[in-house]
Amino acid sequence: MNNSIFINSKNVFLDIVNAKDYIQLDRVSTIYQSLKDSIKKPLKMILLYGKPGTGKSMFLNKLHTDLSSSINVYLYQTPILDESEFYKTLAQDIFHTKYAGELNFTQFMKIVENNKSDEIPVVLLDEAQLYSENLMEKIRLLSDTRTVKFVITLHKTEKEDLIAKEHFQTRIWESIELENASTGELKIYIQKKLMKANCFDTANMFTSKSVNKIHKITNGNYRDTNKLLYTLFDIYATYEQNQQLGKIKTDQISIKVVEMAALHSGLIND
Amino acid sequence: MINLIELESRWLKYKIKSYIPHLSIFISLIVILVLIVSFMNQYTKNDTNDIVKPAPNIETVVIIKKPEPKKSIVVTKVLDTPVTSTQIDKEERSVNRVTPSRKYAEKTLKLSPSLDFMKKMQNSVQPYYMNEHTNSNDILPVVKKEKPIKKVVKKEKKVELKPTTNTTHRINIQRQNTQHDIADIVKRFKTNNNPALSLFVAKKYYELGNYQQAYNYALITNKINKDIEVSWIIFSKSLVKLGEKNKAISILSKYIEQSHSSSAQILLDDIRTGKFQ
Repeated sequence: MNNSIFINSKNVFLDIVNAKDYIQLDRVSTIYQSLKDSIKKPLKMILLYGKPGTGKSMFLNKLHTDLSSSINVYLYQTPILDESEFYKTLAQDIFHTKYAGELNFTQFMKIVENNKSDEIPVVLLDEAQLYSENLMEKIRLLSDTRTVKFVITLHKTEKEDLIAKEHFQTRIWESIELENASTGELKIYIQKKLMKANCFDTANMFTSKSVNKIHKITNGNYRDTNKLLYTLFDIYATYEQNQQLGKIKTDQISIKVVEMAALHSGLIND
Repeated sequence: MINLIELESRWLKYKIKSYIPHLSIFISLIVILVLIVSFMNQYTKNDTNDIVKPAPNIETVVIIKKPEPKKSIVVTKVLDTPVTSTQIDKEERSVNRVTPSRKYAEKTLKLSPSLDFMKKMQNSVQPYYMNEHTNSNDILPVVKKEKPIKKVVKKEKKVELKPTTNTTHRINIQRQNTQHDIADIVKRFKTNNNPALSLFVAKKYYELGNYQQAYNYALITNKINKDIEVSWIIFSKSLVKLGEKNKAISILSKYIEQSHSSSAQILLDDIRTGKFQ
């Protein structure tokens, strides 16, 4: 086991969607609370949208983790593109009905009718922009029956097209937008993430100057920030391995290393 | 495993590239500043040149204004050679040797125009002559009136020069012509009865000290044309010189009443106060 603080810090920024790694930020917490409240309302559909890397998947993951103990909530992080497969998966997960062979929408609706209960199950669909228009129309019809509640996430650009469609305009009752972090939020995000993994030394290395530089490169995008910081600590670890740490700053994050990490990860071009 | 050497060289390239826009802006700013400064310098130099130049210009302007244009024409005729600027310079230089000192000359330059103005009017205004004569006989009065030119030139020229043969030329012109030219002009006057000629003769006689003849020719001029101011002045001056002071005063007074001539008035005052005798 390597005890290098830089390797430990590097692993903190691995791009894995895990509810345990969710970082509470003031603005995000408010949004999260409003989403939780929306689920309790008799809404047919909730839309969660934002640019890639703004934390939508993490949001759904966190929501799933938090709600799974109290209500029937089902998370589908990877889109099920085949229609029959989609119905079969839902029938099996929600209504515990295994179906051999093809399952069409009518057959699936019969299963839903047969298994009606007071507690409405919540289905969380990530990357909804990948679903076909036909399947989305079926999802709309399904939500209209009020037997299943859907929370869908999609990229902002696709959302604009989606919202434009009449049938969704009337049905999406709650839409929540997720945005990139500000400089202050980014600093809290980085430091909280490192401290959560007991990397206090490296957490203290982040000054406002270095965070500003990181924010300038990543625009506050969480995914890009994770990618950059992973490479940054990788570079630090390599310097350490080569016993060349004297060449760079170790009391605070070196701007040179930030730029090197950005170059290596393709966030800036040389 | 990250290749640090390669990454560092990439970073170095990136840094150099990132500084290029700043560097180009900085260089262009410097270039602009240098251009502005050089332009300003040039501008200020031009300004100082403009300031320095007027001083000599003032002197040259004075030189041009003072000599009457006719005089230079007459001189060229007399000399029978084209008068070049060097010749004029030489003449001026020869005169320069006569002058007492440069400082004195400079002082007189500033004062002479205003002080001598009225007297000059009295002595040298010749409307008829000015308009009609380009004859070689006019040499004498013109040459004599070069006196103001001499003054101005003295002030301007500071280089000492050798005496030239031109000075002797000029002197010869003065000496040779006087009597002969008067006779010639009298002859011409008899043929065409031009009052300008008779006036010229009167003036010449007056200058030569022949006040009787000056009186006669001035009288003839007045008879032909009673409106020639200079003729009346010569007439009166001749009378004074001939000892007829009262007559001169009465004639001048009558003429002033009629013509309101300022020159005549000045002469009258001078006669009365005894300034002119």
